Amino acid sequence: MSSIFILAKRELSSLFRTPVGWIVLALFLFLTGTVFVFGALAPGHPATLRPIFGTMTLMLVLVAPAISMRLFSEEFRTGTYELLASSPVTSAQIVLGKYLGALAFLIVMLLPTLIHAGVLFLVSEPNPDPGPIAAGYLSLFLFGCLCLALGTLASTLTDSQTLAFLGTMLTLICWVLITNIAPQHFEPEIGSKLAAASYSIRIDDFARGTIDTRHVVFFLSISAGLLAFATTALESRRWR
Amino acid sequence: MIEVADLHRWFGSVHAVRGVGFSIPDGQAVGLLGPNGAGKTTTLRMLTGILRPQQGSISVAGVDALRHPVQSQRQFGYLPESAPSYPEMAVRSFLRYRAGVLGVPVRRRRNRVLAVLAECQLTDVSRRRIGQLSKGYRQRVALAAALLHDPKVLILDEPTNGLDPTQIREARSLIGDLAQNRTVLVSSHILPEIERTCQRVIIIGAGRVLADGTPEELCRNIGSGGCIAEVRGHLAAIEFAIKQALPECTLETAPLEEGWWHCTIRPGPDAPSSLEAVGIALGTAKCPIRLLRPETIGLEDVFVRVLDEAARSPGGDA
Repeated sequence: MSSIFILAKRELSSLFRTPVGWIVLALFLFLTGTVFVFGALAPGHPATLRPIFGTMTLMLVLVAPAISMRLFSEEFRTGTYELLASSPVTSAQIVLGKYLGALAFLIVMLLPTLIHAGVLFLVSEPNPDPGPIAAGYLSLFLFGCLCLALGTLASTLTDSQTLAFLGTMLTLICWVLITNIAPQHFEPEIGSKLAAASYSIRIDDFARGTIDTRHVVFFLSISAGLLAFATTALESRRWR
Repeated sequence: MIEVADLHRWFGSVHAVRGVGFSIPDGQAVGLLGPNGAGKTTTLRMLTGILRPQQGSISVAGVDALRHPVQSQRQFGYLPESAPSYPEMAVRSFLRYRAGVLGVPVRRRRNRVLAVLAECQLTDVSRRRIGQLSKGYRQRVALAAALLHDPKVLILDEPTNGLDPTQIREARSLIGDLAQNRTVLVSSHILPEIERTCQRVIIIGAGRVLADGTPEELCRNIGSGGCIAEVRGHLAAIEFAIKQALPECTLETAPLEEGWWHCTIRPGPDAPSSLEAVGIALGTAKCPIRLLRPETIGLEDVFVRVLDEAARSPGGDA
């Protein structure tokens, strides 16, 4: 457990030691702030953070791959993976440690946006409904978990950060296309099965303020599955 | 301390390691010597758990490295060939992080970091970023990281690679100090490095162990009975006299000044020492001798000859 924490801590601090982390953080906060000012704070608009959640979800498709792309690819490229692979830690601990470090960065990134919720409570009359706000943040966290798990897997498969970034982002985009748009062109039976695998439909449910445990299980179980694949991919490097 | 038996490793169709086996007792410093591509790094990577062998067994300090890789990895410190580290981290932060990963208890971490900083003469640069340090210092940082958990076994892959002569001397001296109270396995293709730091040498070529012993043993085995003579006279007469005495020998001659010849005489595989026979033969042929001594063989000669013999042997491609 302590090894996982140490690996996570290093991963988190390394994101703040390199420009990538700061650039991602600044861009994310700037864009969400802009959307908040012009979307949620505009006079006559309902007191809700829904436009921000929509923007943040879209941004996660770009930001999460940028955070996760370097997790393993960078270690493979610079040779520091040899240090990890020869250390008394298992592949699962390495994957989990790095993943939790990236997840901690995501939380650090989301925390300042709570200010928007605070401002909305201060200036809105009547006060906004806290349910959809809480559900919105939960959906962002769960979607972030899934994106970062996918990014972690992509990063274990290549030495190139660019490939890991593009692989994660394109998979997330194709996922939406296959599960949201394709079902309309298939038989209803196949279409409904494809739609059941959609993450965006579940995020929409959260945005309406509905916290469905099936959706929570969906995001967490897929993230766990992707991390298991990442562990297998890492372990397979010992045999290659 | 380290037991390796019948290791095999393929990379696709390439059979990189072919039945490597050796045993290193407690406290011995051993050099793994071989040309580039001989299988040294692959062997070390299997020892350290980075790669899994497809056949064979490895035991480090009594722990089966294939069944219990994590327990086995606690027993050794490893310096990879490129001495990798995180350039954005300060030396001290990097060592603290590595101490944690290596399982050094929290209460001992600070002291261990200070101890290895002192041992590797890094105290002055401990707050500097690793990326700002010279190659020699980065090598020391990587070595310090390998010592944090005070391992009984130290595995060093090309520890002086890319260093300048002064840095090589410093690194060699440091490794020599570390080898005083640890089992050390050093891989290198730089012979003087191995000759000065190791009590025993294992020569690897084409994925096989070609020779194993102390440098003295290897020199003795390879250079059995050869001699050097400086003789005056007709070359044909000198050659005839030596060939008469030692029909199986190989003879190399080189002209010197005023009719003197430098002769290197190596008797056949099972022949006794050539020194006495050559002396008698040249004396009988009335060829004046001004120098006659046994041929001294260095590790470099052993290395070259072992690899040559392996290349000449059936199926050898060293």
